[in-house]
Amino acid sequence: MAPTTRQGISPFLEPGPRTKANSLAILQLSRDNFLPVHLQHATGEHDGYAEGVVVNTRFGSFPHSTMIGVPWGSQIRASKVDTGSRGRKRKRLPGDDAGRDENGNEVEADVAELEIETESAEPTTDTPSGPKQAIAASSGFVHVLPPTPEIWTTSLPHRTQVVYTPDYSYILHRIRARPGAVIIEAGAGSGSFSHASARAVYNGYPKEGERKGKVISFEYHEERYKKMKQELSQHGLEGIVHLTHRDVYKGGFLINDGESPEAEAVFLDLPAPWDALPALSRRRPEGAEGADESGKPWVSPLNSKKNAYICTFSPCIEQVTKTVSAMRRLGWVDIDMVEIANRKLHTARDRVGLNMPQDRGVNNSARDVEEAISKLAEIEEKFRQHARPSRSAANTSSKNGDDGKATSNGKGASREEETFTSSRPWADGRLIVRGEPEIKTHTSYLVFAILPREWSEEDEAAALAKYPLGQEQAVVGDMDKASRKKLRQELLKKQGDKKQKKKEKAEKLDEKMDETSG
Amino acid sequence: MASVVRPNTWVALKLPSGISRVIQIAPNTTISLGKYGSFPANLIIGRPYHLTFELQDKLEGEDFSRLRIVPTTELYAEIFADEVSPGCSTPTAGANEAAIPTTADAEDYTLIDAETGNVVARSNLATAIDETARQTLTQDEIEELKRDGTNAGKDVIAKLLLSHTALDQKTSFSLAKYKLMKTKKYIRRFQVLPMDVANFANWQLEERDSSRILDMRAEMIGLVGCWGNAHYGGEDVFLEDPRASTEQGQEACAAVQEDLLRGRWLVVDDTCGMLVAALAERMGVLNPEYPDSDAEDSALSAAAAETATEESNTADAQPQQQQPDTEMADAQEDDGLHPTNPHNKPRPSDFAIPYSQTNTITVVHAASQPNLSFLNYWGFDHTAPNHPPHPLLSHLLTLSWLQLLQPSLDTSYSTPPLVATQQELAGWKPSRRGNFHRKRRRFARTRHVVDAARAGNFSGLICASTMDPISILKHALHLLAGGAPIAIYSPTVEPLAALADCFSVPRRTAWTSGQVAEIVGKSGEELERWAGSEDFPLNPTLLLGVSIQTSRARRWQVLPGRTHPLMMERGGAEGYVFTAWRAKPAEGRVEAKGKFKRRKTEPGAVAGAAEGDAEEVKAAAEEA
Ligand SMILES: C[S@@+](CC[C@H](N)C(=O)[O-])C[C@H]1O[C@@H](n2cnc3c(N)ncnc32)[C@H](O)[C@@H]1O
Repeated sequence: MAPTTRQGISPFLEPGPRTKANSLAILQLSRDNFLPVHLQHATGEHDGYAEGVVVNTRFGSFPHSTMIGVPWGSQIRASKVDTGSRGRKRKRLPGDDAGRDENGNEVEADVAELEIETESAEPTTDTPSGPKQAIAASSGFVHVLPPTPEIWTTSLPHRTQVVYTPDYSYILHRIRARPGAVIIEAGAGSGSFSHASARAVYNGYPKEGERKGKVISFEYHEERYKKMKQELSQHGLEGIVHLTHRDVYKGGFLINDGESPEAEAVFLDLPAPWDALPALSRRRPEGAEGADESGKPWVSPLNSKKNAYICTFSPCIEQVTKTVSAMRRLGWVDIDMVEIANRKLHTARDRVGLNMPQDRGVNNSARDVEEAISKLAEIEEKFRQHARPSRSAANTSSKNGDDGKATSNGKGASREEETFTSSRPWADGRLIVRGEPEIKTHTSYLVFAILPREWSEEDEAAALAKYPLGQEQAVVGDMDKASRKKLRQELLKKQGDKKQKKKEKAEKLDEKMDETSG
Repeated sequence: MASVVRPNTWVALKLPSGISRVIQIAPNTTISLGKYGSFPANLIIGRPYHLTFELQDKLEGEDFSRLRIVPTTELYAEIFADEVSPGCSTPTAGANEAAIPTTADAEDYTLIDAETGNVVARSNLATAIDETARQTLTQDEIEELKRDGTNAGKDVIAKLLLSHTALDQKTSFSLAKYKLMKTKKYIRRFQVLPMDVANFANWQLEERDSSRILDMRAEMIGLVGCWGNAHYGGEDVFLEDPRASTEQGQEACAAVQEDLLRGRWLVVDDTCGMLVAALAERMGVLNPEYPDSDAEDSALSAAAAETATEESNTADAQPQQQQPDTEMADAQEDDGLHPTNPHNKPRPSDFAIPYSQTNTITVVHAASQPNLSFLNYWGFDHTAPNHPPHPLLSHLLTLSWLQLLQPSLDTSYSTPPLVATQQELAGWKPSRRGNFHRKRRRFARTRHVVDAARAGNFSGLICASTMDPISILKHALHLLAGGAPIAIYSPTVEPLAALADCFSVPRRTAWTSGQVAEIVGKSGEELERWAGSEDFPLNPTLLLGVSIQTSRARRWQVLPGRTHPLMMERGGAEGYVFTAWRAKPAEGRVEAKGKFKRRKTEPGAVAGAAEGDAEEVKAAAEEA
């Protein structure tokens, strides 16, 4: 792969203005229902469909040909697909009958069961003619969106627990994952965090020998490693995410056979982060075994010229305790532990009132006291009218009582009197905001820390030589009374030679300017 | 972000009390931390961030403190002591359990000299150490102790602890708290933190005026950045200099080339530039790039110094600003007749466009000038006429809503540029010549910024504004590329709820089912620029996946045997984020089709699968 051409740039990083063949697109089926699709050109009939590769959803059938080369965000109409030979060729499976509606169209009852990749597995060879032009169906549509880590996170094939947007957005902000940064990640799992961090550190694809922002990722589970490797290549992220199949507890974080990735940020989503921490030191950690045997010097995976930021992600408090303790022993500072609580909110119209249409979600009780009173008065009035002709008290009162109930809960007279349908249903009722029916109250604990770069006595001596003491001119910052007084006195004393000083300062600046422009 | 303190950068000095002093570190100055003492700035310049320094006792003949780097073993000495004590045993991850003395008795309190690891005092041994100190010290005595406070304040703390009369009645828990309180007040330590966006925002929120950044917490900054998909938007691309002569006017301006415009975010920022800084950081254009060497800082010191000169005139990015000293600078460099360039680069013409066509932030502002004053913390002064090199100069474009929506009413956009022959110019005073060039440059740049913004196709829209988001979208929606994300922050939920309501299912249903008389017969193009009506403030089909969310980080204390959430956290505005993607609706009526949850059990029911009002069907599908 040569991802240096624009063609090869990941659709996650630069989707371009339109959808492309051989690239990932996301179909939005309904609000929170996304389907990743690798768009493919049709070369002819495919898997029994004359239109080539087709995505079937409960919202209709969508040949890829109708979704390639369109602007992102486009609404795509469903097509009347020609199953052609498909119906005949395919072996009838039990339950297949149920999967067909009266028009004989394929029905996919559950999108989650849809396997796009098997649908488009092998190109059909037995049809010499090109693909059939798709014909729009009378109903059904989806939207096609460019892939982003946010959508991918909710639609990716889950192989493990994943880190969702509320957590990773905060984590990436705090570990300073910025363009050009090199970040270590373990384990890769389902790649949710990998995609988000790839976008964060991306500052172009590296050319030969060039150092660019990169995600150095590790996963020891072979199947997950393989699946992820395949995904990275399909998503054009191979140049950004460097995935290694390894147990990091034992093998550490060096890449390409002993080379330091020179990372400045680390994210650990592992069961035992404390077992991985010693390898993330600046010098050989105490008690590190084996490293010496080869005679090679110990190499730190961290960038020696940068401070390293870390986040570990653990669901249990015991893990946190162990991790934090290990961090302290290993010299990490600014240790900070938080958990993120995220809530999604829905807006709705709270429709309450006796005159509201009898829709689902409408509460047909009195909207306010006034409405209640007028209704009650109305009932009373009716009751009086009703009571007048007949005097047989016992029967009628119980009867009327029933009537009253029926009326007051809105199923009686009032509905017949004014069969109310709103002309502006969107404006009915009060706008309200409420949470989801279920909320995630705990994902994981996030432990943050920083490992400052090393600072030796030689470094200090060099810095002192470069910025020597003894030429202090002004005082900055807040002063206590004593030093303020002292300063004032000094100022008074110096007032005489102030002009002289100014001159000197100006000369200094001139020198500086000369230096800069030179 | 640099890992060491560079001269003239802004840093936060974090004091034991938790308070930060934010200052610009100028070489050859003395930094005073008030009661904690003072030290020369040169002792922290060139040193790594995040180290903890301790002000040492003044040496004979010096009137400042030198600094000592406090090793982490010392910082954590007490915690390590707690960790090995029974009752709150914690796994120690195989670290060396140094012979740090500790006490088993919960009623005991031990004060450890972190340097030596020796026990300085023990509550039940207090009499043996300092008989007099058992009396409560008066404030004057404390002051006195502090004044000749030696040993970085640790003596004071020891004395204070021992003087606390009720000491041995205290439990170790409250003692630890008491100790912490005293430590915060008297220990002479500090840490130097970099002023990156995360630290700046935190400081502004917790210690300064949180309303200036609309109470935007770190969680929200992270969310809008991700949902707005703000990221590096591609290698810089510059338009070719049209090399217009001074006799040429408007017609010689370089036209906007729409196919070159990529990776651009449209931004509305009422956080004084904090949002812009956060996005610029995500796009890699906030901090000047310096080689990764130790020699790097000399370059910056020059660049960041306010007086730094510059070699070309491309840096005049804010031409609207009229500052007196512009005249001189321009007069000097803009002679136009004697091109003198130290690097022999051809001098850009007045109509050269200094902005990249990619990886840019376009800020639309409500006042005639944007308020981006916080960008000063990253060495960018939006109002400086003659700016030293900074990546924002070529990646930050600003224009007013008037310029965006009715440019003909804007003077700087609509007034044709001055023209003059070379002879005329030669006859002018340098200051007039400077003015002439500056005005022409301003014209070309305004023209470019406005035309490029109006060309639309933005990769995303990100807002943190006090303006009504409905009105922002009314005028900005059509400028977004298809599929582009929108992320709008608001300190309160109400404005976002009202916005989301514009895209409610009943509204979309009415719109798509042809019930809205006003839109009948309108083309897709016209509907994309829907000006809004009372019932339909926005075209409800232009956004997908409309949602509102909020996040909060709950902070914990993690200490051996004392791990729990913090007792107090910041209240006030909660903060919410609205997200969605820009849709490109198909023309004509599109009905939805939905089939769900009915197969297998009752085959007949499939035939009854709903077809009808698009949005209702989809909404029903969501609920199913
Ligand atoms: C919870 S998942 C990570 C999910 C990932 N952060 C995401 O967002 O998709 C944890 C992963 O770490 C891997 N893992 C566990 N221990 C490991 C080790 N010692 N070395 C490498 N990978 C490891 C597991 O196989 C698993 O896939």
